[in-house]
Amino acid sequence: MYDTIVIGAGLAGLMAAIGRAERGEKVMVLAKGHGTTHWTTGCLDLFAEVDDPIAGIIQLTDQRPHHPYALVGLTMIEQGVARFRAICEAAGYPMVGNFNRNLLLPTALGALRPTAFAPATMINGDARQLRDGRPTLIASFGVLRDFFPPLIAANLRAQGIAAEAALLALPPTGRQHDFSPVILARMFDQPDFRARVGEQLAAFVRKGGYARIGMPAILGLKHPTEVVRDLQNRAGALIFEIPTLPTSVAGMRLYHILENALLSLGGRMQLGGFVQRGEPLKETLVAVFSEAAAREQRHTARRWVLATGGILGGGIRATPEGHLRETALDLPLQTPDSRSGWFAARFLAEQGHPVFQSGVRVDRSLRPLDASGRLVYENVMVAGSALAGFDPVREGCLEGVAIATGWAAGQQ
Amino acid sequence: MQTISTDVLVIGGGATGTGCALDLAMRGIRCVLVEKGDLTHGTTGRYHGLLHSGGRYVTKDPQSARECAQENAILRRIMPHCIEQTSGFFVITPWDDESYGDVFVANCHRTGVPVQEISVAEMLRREPLLNPRISRVFEVPDASADSFLATHSVALAAREYGADIRTYHNVIELIRVGDRVVGAVVEDLRSGERIRIDCAYVLNAAGAWAGKIAALAGVTVTVVPGKGTMVAMNHRMVNTVVNRCKLPSDGDIIVPIHTVAVIGTTDVHVPDPDVFGIEPEEIQFMLDEGEKLVPGFRQYRALRAWAGVRPLYKDKDVASDRDIPRTFKLLDHEERDGVSGIFSIVGGKWTTYRLMAEQTVNEIARRLGNTQPCRTASEVLPIPKFEHTRHATVTVSPDPAAQTPHYWLGKPLALVESQHAAGDLICECELVTRDRIQAAIDAGAHNLDDIRRDVRMGMGPCQGGWCIYRTANILYERRCADGLSHVHTNEAILHFLQERWKGLTPVLWGDQLRQARLDELIYYGVLGIQRLRALAEPGGGLVTQHPAIATEYVQA
Repeated sequence: MYDTIVIGAGLAGLMAAIGRAERGEKVMVLAKGHGTTHWTTGCLDLFAEVDDPIAGIIQLTDQRPHHPYALVGLTMIEQGVARFRAICEAAGYPMVGNFNRNLLLPTALGALRPTAFAPATMINGDARQLRDGRPTLIASFGVLRDFFPPLIAANLRAQGIAAEAALLALPPTGRQHDFSPVILARMFDQPDFRARVGEQLAAFVRKGGYARIGMPAILGLKHPTEVVRDLQNRAGALIFEIPTLPTSVAGMRLYHILENALLSLGGRMQLGGFVQRGEPLKETLVAVFSEAAAREQRHTARRWVLATGGILGGGIRATPEGHLRETALDLPLQTPDSRSGWFAARFLAEQGHPVFQSGVRVDRSLRPLDASGRLVYENVMVAGSALAGFDPVREGCLEGVAIATGWAAGQQ
Repeated sequence: MQTISTDVLVIGGGATGTGCALDLAMRGIRCVLVEKGDLTHGTTGRYHGLLHSGGRYVTKDPQSARECAQENAILRRIMPHCIEQTSGFFVITPWDDESYGDVFVANCHRTGVPVQEISVAEMLRREPLLNPRISRVFEVPDASADSFLATHSVALAAREYGADIRTYHNVIELIRVGDRVVGAVVEDLRSGERIRIDCAYVLNAAGAWAGKIAALAGVTVTVVPGKGTMVAMNHRMVNTVVNRCKLPSDGDIIVPIHTVAVIGTTDVHVPDPDVFGIEPEEIQFMLDEGEKLVPGFRQYRALRAWAGVRPLYKDKDVASDRDIPRTFKLLDHEERDGVSGIFSIVGGKWTTYRLMAEQTVNEIARRLGNTQPCRTASEVLPIPKFEHTRHATVTVSPDPAAQTPHYWLGKPLALVESQHAAGDLICECELVTRDRIQAAIDAGAHNLDDIRRDVRMGMGPCQGGWCIYRTANILYERRCADGLSHVHTNEAILHFLQERWKGLTPVLWGDQLRQARLDELIYYGVLGIQRLRALAEPGGGLVTQHPAIATEYVQA
């Protein structure tokens, strides 16, 4: 019997579990697999559509009292982010930025993307620095299919940044094919490999006088801070990473940092356990059943955190007939009235697609409510993208809400 | 305005138009073909890919059945690389009239459609997922055909014979001098430039759009655009074409083609071939019908839905649009309307495209005093460069044991592995390598959708999540020197994302809904493409937002 079982191993679930474990509880994270952390940028988006994220959040909480940020409140947001940053810092991977001004970091298309906090390995790409007139080089390997320097450089130039593109020769690896971001990141963890890359970068810098070099976010899986420092020294220019298509090496780093933090606090992780149903006793959740290795397993705990994500994370699933279902506990969901209201006609429509705001409605303690506002379980809290009434991708608050609500669920 | 002169101007780059262009060129008649979109942009690229045995028409439309049976044998000979020898079953399910089985067999014999009854046990041995409650099974020589590849092969052959084939050329005006059509003004959609084409004959092969073209010459051709909706499922639950043994109706056929199985189709009369939607009820209906053939059908992942418009020619009043004969008709407008210099070839179906071309060109050749015989039934078609040359689906061998009838993903995979091209897989779902993408770009693709049609990039489960980004970048790098800039590339991505979205919304649930959200995370979140809208505009040789080729789907 655990004190707390957290269902879901994304940022929200791991932050909740860490909070509980820090209070000395016996904690387990039970999850079907990795969360969406492995797909995202590895940055911490708080509120991307405004210059000042905190001011934006204050305004938002006035206008939308059911937004997850409004439910947990500003203090919990700031404390959660502070704790998250402290964990990253302690792991030697600082997350740099601030609450009151978004950074503007280049994407793998050369768009400029606002985010509140980014790993130190990305921070030299902030557009305000890049616009200082000194030349920037965007460099990658031809074998990497998830990052193409020429278009990035062209789009950056069109936005007033003196960027050029170059392809690097891949140092000998003994490998014939399949150069994914993760495989290349592991190569960068090896000093010999990056020494060869560093030589090439230095040659480009000597020739082109580049002040900064943007590279795909593949600069080490285990020791990225050291890799970037080493490459900067060798190249004689500042280096910054740009997130690639998934799989996201930068996202994986965050996952591993939080996982290690939880394990070192004595928490347990069980992946491959797909929670399929719960066992209620009136308003108390007594146990859940997970399916793994062709058998059903019963897990018991006093308290539960549901952090299984939304449609993206797999916590909410739609049927061909047009119904949405919360997959683990079959909690009531707040959804658009009918399937005809799920989507906007245009993929990139400003307002997003209403179906992706589907989620579990909760009270101020993040406990699940049904359609009439009645409490479903008094000992379950919901965190992250499983929550109703917001669109983490469109509002640019995916990591922010995950960390704030995950942290809040770990503190209640 | 630039003026060119030719014998025959063919309008329409579908199966029929390209088929006519090849036949004309083979007989030494000069021709120019114009198509407002890409080859197969209309109905040819939006059907389920069935090479008809004729079985579907034996009762209601025996003429079509006979034509299909003959052409089926010819196409297998001249385009083996486009045809997968799936064979076909007509099955009687508990929902069908038992007595139709004997009628079906008798009518097959009458129309020359080869048919053989097999036992239900044999059917289940070959297709274990079919409904065991099926009571009778008739085997016919149905097959699945790659209509994109076939049309490109025909166009390639036509070019080799000297035909001038121009895609993204839209007809603005047909030039009439008195009662004679003497040419056309067309717009090159890539540059906006107008070209005058003088010709002895205009051949209107615009399919569902034939009425619109005829109207430019001041004559009335009533084409009923019959919308057929199809759904591609991510599994080949059958390797044999499966038809319900009954009179044709909605959702009664499953065609295994490439990596998917397509269920079709509906038949809804729409007023305009450019304006139609896909209704959720149509999709639900087809899933229900699929369930009758393959129990558990609903549980398979639906990849995308699309609709094509059949070019049904309405000669006189008919009760239901499904009763319009599926056969074709050549209209001589001089005889019919008193306007000379123009023919329309209307109706028909993909399987009979070659026969339609033969009869059409026979007539035009006679008028031009050309006595060359038609040779399209005997010359084997060439294979375009962007196609895997070594995964040809059929080895042309008289020994059945030496044939490799099925296209399955393992074959291109084996090829990719043998060439160590795994690292250069740009579209991982459909195993499309960088080389093939580059070949498609070099062959003249005018936007990402063209590349999709050429090599199936973006047609697998991820619906372009990874490969749109990769392909757009390869396009940019490849065409940068020819004036394709970052703004055109940004526009190409935005355009293609929207094209894919149209086909996705009707089938988004389960994993495919999750996939769509991941694609949104990638393009909106990770890449921020919407932030480049101000840096996106059409041009650079790409055609994206032109109204002439925009299919305005009504949102379901």
